[in-house]
Amino acid sequence: MATVKDFKGDAATWCPGCGDFSVMAALQRAAVNLGLEPHEMAIVSGIGCSSKISEYTRSYGFHGIHGRSLPVAQGAKMANPNLTVVAAGGDGDGYGIGAGHFIHAVRRNIDITYVVMDNQIYGLTKGQTSPRSAHDFVTKTTVKGNKEYPVDAISTALVNGGTFVSQGFSGNVVELAGIIEQAIRHKGFSLVNVFSPCVTFNKVNTYNFFKDHLVELNAPIASRAAAVGYVKQCGGLFTGVIYQEKQEDFQSQLGIDWHIADIQSGPMDENLLRQLETMFM
Amino acid sequence: MNSFQWKVGGQQGEGVDSTGEIFARMLFQHGFYVTTYKQFMSRIKGGHTNYKIRATTYPTQHAGDELDMLLALDDETYEVNRSELKPTALVLFDGDIKVEGTSEGHTLVSLPLRQIAKEIGNPLAKNMIALGVSGGLVGLPREEFFSLIEQQFSNKGERIISSNKLAVKKGYDLVQDHLSRFVQPLPTPDSTRRMFISANQAVAFGSLMAGCRFLSAYPITPASEIMEWLSHELPKVGGTIMQVEDEIAGITFAIGAAFAGARAMTSTSGPGLSLKTEALGMAGMSETPLVIVDSQRAGPSTGLPTKFEQSDLQHILNASHGEFPRIVLYPSTIGDSFYLAAEAFNLAEKYQCPVFLMLDLAMSMNKTTILPIDVTRVSIQRGKILGEGDLKKLTEGFQRYRLTPDGVSPRVLPGTPGGVHVTSSNEHSESGYITEDPEIRTKMMEKRMHKIQSAMSHRPFYATQPEAQTVVVAMGSTCGVVEEALQRLAEENRILGQLSLQQLHPLPVEELRPYLTGKRVIVVENNYEGQLLNWLKQHLPIHSSAHSIRQYDGNPFQVKTVVEKIKELI
Repeated sequence: MATVKDFKGDAATWCPGCGDFSVMAALQRAAVNLGLEPHEMAIVSGIGCSSKISEYTRSYGFHGIHGRSLPVAQGAKMANPNLTVVAAGGDGDGYGIGAGHFIHAVRRNIDITYVVMDNQIYGLTKGQTSPRSAHDFVTKTTVKGNKEYPVDAISTALVNGGTFVSQGFSGNVVELAGIIEQAIRHKGFSLVNVFSPCVTFNKVNTYNFFKDHLVELNAPIASRAAAVGYVKQCGGLFTGVIYQEKQEDFQSQLGIDWHIADIQSGPMDENLLRQLETMFM
Repeated sequence: MNSFQWKVGGQQGEGVDSTGEIFARMLFQHGFYVTTYKQFMSRIKGGHTNYKIRATTYPTQHAGDELDMLLALDDETYEVNRSELKPTALVLFDGDIKVEGTSEGHTLVSLPLRQIAKEIGNPLAKNMIALGVSGGLVGLPREEFFSLIEQQFSNKGERIISSNKLAVKKGYDLVQDHLSRFVQPLPTPDSTRRMFISANQAVAFGSLMAGCRFLSAYPITPASEIMEWLSHELPKVGGTIMQVEDEIAGITFAIGAAFAGARAMTSTSGPGLSLKTEALGMAGMSETPLVIVDSQRAGPSTGLPTKFEQSDLQHILNASHGEFPRIVLYPSTIGDSFYLAAEAFNLAEKYQCPVFLMLDLAMSMNKTTILPIDVTRVSIQRGKILGEGDLKKLTEGFQRYRLTPDGVSPRVLPGTPGGVHVTSSNEHSESGYITEDPEIRTKMMEKRMHKIQSAMSHRPFYATQPEAQTVVVAMGSTCGVVEEALQRLAEENRILGQLSLQQLHPLPVEELRPYLTGKRVIVVENNYEGQLLNWLKQHLPIHSSAHSIRQYDGNPFQVKTVVEKIKELI
């Protein structure tokens, strides 16, 4: 059986105190608790501080380009349904440049887990506003305060048919590991949005801010509508699984006897060729 | 008459396409080589559309310049297509029975198609009556027509079948009663086993046979048919297509699938390719095999979405920032499209890089007649992939980007025990982990750029008449026009060589040298800048003797235009 140590990859270069350390620890613990071996998991990430998680966690990894972790991850899952696929990245990656993919991944319900490290700022580019930045939040690119309102990713997932919608906090690794474990277990698309403070560039949404404001949800809410209402009521500041629904995942619905990745070298299948040829005769 | 050209034209939504399709199939099943060209607009209803068919007793890749017969479902069809009519052409209209000649020599025939269709209780059968007239005029056996109708409408029920048969019979009767003096039977063709297929279909078919089990794409003219065909066929062999949210997802889903071990592809046209370019670089940098089909249409921007052009070459050769290896193929015939599609997957996996398969609208959406597939021509070669057993034999641990003499590092597919690694679009060390070390960076750049230098497809080009002093170069569907133009010039004892290029990157420079240097080179291509000529000039000393013939009006060249322009140059 693998231990957390087996999931340790390259040395992390995040700032000391960065929330992403806890997200990685929680993910590794969840993998161990699920009995996964490093080769059974693939972490696909985009670009940004948090997207380096695919280098720092030892499993199969794909460290791609900005905003495209979800389509790469879904493609990988399509090719190998036995693989545990986790897409990961930041709020800019997922809700900004990659927002289009997010909505469609939610409604498509392929069996992958999406972990978003939501720090409400662009960190790697050193402190610009993000799609999750609060209104009036001052950054290098919103010097008089952000005049846009933040993306409500949780509600977006809820209203677009998300079958597992959850939120965690880097300040509570035990709870987060449990949420990620449930998310991976969920057969379908699972969203784990994590408040993961940027200790260098975000001096507003700090560990203390979240400790003061977050409410812990004890159990999922029974209906989507009520869940959306709850998000509104608490200003999105909750942790836990807010909604879960059993729904046949995309690949199972297709009912195909999958043979995508197991093509062998050798001659073409002549019987199949002659049979398909008749379509054009 | 060993070449017969026929066209049906009318308003979009009037059944022009299906009428053309049925007549083409009729001529094909009778044993002719059939080549088609469709013209249509980017709308569903209304606007002139037409479908041209050429039936020959010999193989050809060109649908012909001039028409022997025009079926005009409206008056506009006659006006639009008048310039293509041969002096001996016959034009068939709907109307009261009338036969008249024009000053140009055309015969205009009106027959009460609509009225007869009404009388037999099937107003939709007007076009079938016209097809009966067409068949009667060229002496096609009506029984063959009947059996084609049975095939074509097999799922529509007995009533539809019998009323369409009756419509065809009425058409034949009209010829007997009013047009017997215009009947010109076509020669009897041989009838060996052949296929009637478009390049889109051939690429889809070739990809499936090569083991492609995953295509992700976004609908776009003229490439959608590749996705549509595979949508039917892939699930039967354990694969699937995915119509995804946008063009970027089209390429990135395919990259993800390829990373996980699929032979994966995406298909698109110019606008889609523009959107895919950042991810293209990701495939190059992460050394992920990928096949990208670009079925070209007339750009830039939305351009002429349903018209033909060959103007993406420059983009494909350079698309995406930074430098990374790519292979670019462009079949010169619809038949080659099958083989090059299959080979594209081998090259992608052998060299672990993106491989472009270029097509153009003229070949993508039109059909020609090809011989059955030679199964021995391409086999499946998956390149260097290590399994669990191979990994156990490694003395030092697995490194995804190990520096090797040929620059290709063995891959391990996710899920394999003992090969855990990260695939990275950042610059990376041999392990895959990020590095900014200048020495490693230099080695990795050289490894990637070197690995494809010797990449060679089986038929990088076709050349005829290597001794000729003038060589005419073309790519894609333009090769068929040039072939026919050179035949015409040969009839006047002007023997020219033809070079049909199929591998555009890496350009097989040394192999091309004897065919192009020291000669008069004429490049025939459908773009403004002379992109193919410029590309050749970058590699071969042909500057003082090279000419180009270009057209960018949205339509393929006519043979006569190419013949005239070549004559001006030689």
